[in-house]
Amino acid sequence: MAALLGGAAAALLRRGPGPGLGAGAVLGAGQRRHRHKEKWATTAPRIPSTRLALHHFDTSYSLHLGELWPSVRAGLLCEQKYGALLNNFSAVDHVTQELELLNATDFVSEALQKAQQSQRGAAAREAVRGSQEGCVQGRTVIQAETMTQAETSPPFRASISPKIKCYTFPRGDITRFCPARPDILGLLGYYLMDAASVLPVLALDVQQDDLVLDLCAAPGGKTLALLQTGLCVSGGHLAANDVSISRTKRLHQILHKYVPREVREAVSVTSYDGRDWQDVDGGTFHKVLVDVPCTTDRHSAMEEDNNIFHKRRTKERQMLPMLQLQLLMAGILAAKPGGDVVYSTCSLSPLQNECVVERAVEIAETQFNVSVHVEDLSHLRTLFQDTFSFFSDCRLGELVLPHLTANFGPMYFCKLRRM
Amino acid sequence: MAGLPLLLPRGAGRALVAGRALLAALRPCPRRGCGEAAALRAMGFSQEQARRLQGLQPRLGPERREAVAAQLLLLGLSAEAALALLEQSPELLRLPTEQLRERAEELRRLGLDGGRLERALSRCPQLFAVPRKRLAAAVRLLRERCLFTAEQLREVLGTCPAVLLEEPCSLHHHFQYAYFRMGVRQKEMVKARLFQMPFAELRNRHIFLERRGLYETPHKGQIQTNNPKLKDILQLSEKDFLASLACSTLEEYEVFKKLLAREEAEEGKEEEVDALYADEDDELYSERSKTAPE
Repeated sequence: MAALLGGAAAALLRRGPGPGLGAGAVLGAGQRRHRHKEKWATTAPRIPSTRLALHHFDTSYSLHLGELWPSVRAGLLCEQKYGALLNNFSAVDHVTQELELLNATDFVSEALQKAQQSQRGAAAREAVRGSQEGCVQGRTVIQAETMTQAETSPPFRASISPKIKCYTFPRGDITRFCPARPDILGLLGYYLMDAASVLPVLALDVQQDDLVLDLCAAPGGKTLALLQTGLCVSGGHLAANDVSISRTKRLHQILHKYVPREVREAVSVTSYDGRDWQDVDGGTFHKVLVDVPCTTDRHSAMEEDNNIFHKRRTKERQMLPMLQLQLLMAGILAAKPGGDVVYSTCSLSPLQNECVVERAVEIAETQFNVSVHVEDLSHLRTLFQDTFSFFSDCRLGELVLPHLTANFGPMYFCKLRRM
Repeated sequence: MAGLPLLLPRGAGRALVAGRALLAALRPCPRRGCGEAAALRAMGFSQEQARRLQGLQPRLGPERREAVAAQLLLLGLSAEAALALLEQSPELLRLPTEQLRERAEELRRLGLDGGRLERALSRCPQLFAVPRKRLAAAVRLLRERCLFTAEQLREVLGTCPAVLLEEPCSLHHHFQYAYFRMGVRQKEMVKARLFQMPFAELRNRHIFLERRGLYETPHKGQIQTNNPKLKDILQLSEKDFLASLACSTLEEYEVFKKLLAREEAEEGKEEEVDALYADEDDELYSERSKTAPE
């Protein structure tokens, strides 16, 4: 083999996500900066965790997603797309100008505008039709009726917080955002994150003065999005909790870089095990976000570091659905009656998604006598279908699928209302 | 001068006739005041063809033009083929006829004979001009490093004569990619005409399939795979490749190509940095070993 084999061949193999050949360890198509440095490592992994993860995904997701799986798989293995969550606490006008010059748009307001326009269009058509029937008086009445109908029928319009702004590049555009720069107050203008992560926060629909709990807050992207709604400005309060102390540090850093002191003071950061929350404050929150630890599919397919598919973490991985269920239960019990809970993961697995929600609803009913209603989020799916690639066959909740033309996600989210 | 048939018989006799015609054409003929056109006509070019030929590199002396044209005919090209070749690459007119002859001989020795030679020369006129060393290096690479048999080499040269123009390094890389990354063997490479497709395009198609889960690098010793045939990957049009092999849309593929190009560019930069830290005994590659592949 030596004549054919050489540094060049080894390099060829190093790039591919193929299984190990005699030529040496073959590594997953990892993010370049985290890729296992062959020359420097003392022991090379025999079968990389990324390879194990992919194999696992191929088996389960090809069943679940069917024909969609190859596109999703390619999306997972290519560079993900980011969104720039605008920081309302900084000098935004300058930033929005800059972003718009680059051809990025705020997908939230863009979708809302488009929906409004089509609403008005439909209403106008209805009005015309209405006015063609009946007499002058009747005409006016019918017109008025259809107008009100058109304006109020989709519940979403009123409930999407226009304060959350997230800039993305158009479909098919792979431009990267530059890192945000501090403004004159020292606050950063935007936070780069998977744009799909904004969706669970939008679904939660935080109102001013709400008491909000973010049960698994670290590293803090969704927490920051929650704060953008302005809930803490007057009377509201945000409790941001995460069991990991090191990750909570990151949360603190983000709060310092993005949020002014007076708002930060309305946020309490804690390091409890989220499962214990019900013992601390039961039934007090208007809104609860439960963004649970999961197999982080995209990370697991691409990065060798800290990969949950490593052999030594098998037990931990197998216990995930149980952990997720316990966290969701805690979240439900922490909510007030009439309060909302949004459950989210960044995995495609139904075992970590729908199954957990269904089980939680059941347990809440049978063991805690708490009635929970699963809310329909299809209006969000319709609203944002041009920005994201949604899976249309979720039993409950919604799922954003990675796709090369819109490489966001995976992101699963489901909204529950405690009755 | 006796009138010569315009349609020359094919085969050995033709070269002989053309040779005679060449000699006849070069003899001065004061009575008719032979112009260049007449000489060319005598060789076998039509009035129209002669006119076209004379239009090429007009500053060049007629003897050069005639000599080169004659040589091409001697090599077995038809009048039209020779003309087409010269129109495509008029710089050939500046090459010494000896070089043309020698190069054609060499190519013939490598297995490009008859129609193959003509096709190869027409498709890649640079074959006349590429330095001898480069030619030899490419052949040596294909035989000794890539381990194509003589017969396979002939086939490769016949279908993809441009390999002889390739930088041996990139040719080797192209081969190794197919061999190691795709798990394809020489026989299939020849059948699929591996070298006809530019490497970048091959890589795009292969990795697109791979990331979609439709192509897997075979394990050591694995003989059977479910991979699509190399022939199909290479020879389908992009549209058909996407529709029947990748089962994907053009939009997805376009974005993918952009992302992959960016990955490649950044990989290159990273490897430059790594190279700065490379140890001397890190060199796995040995120029001297000649072990057969598995």
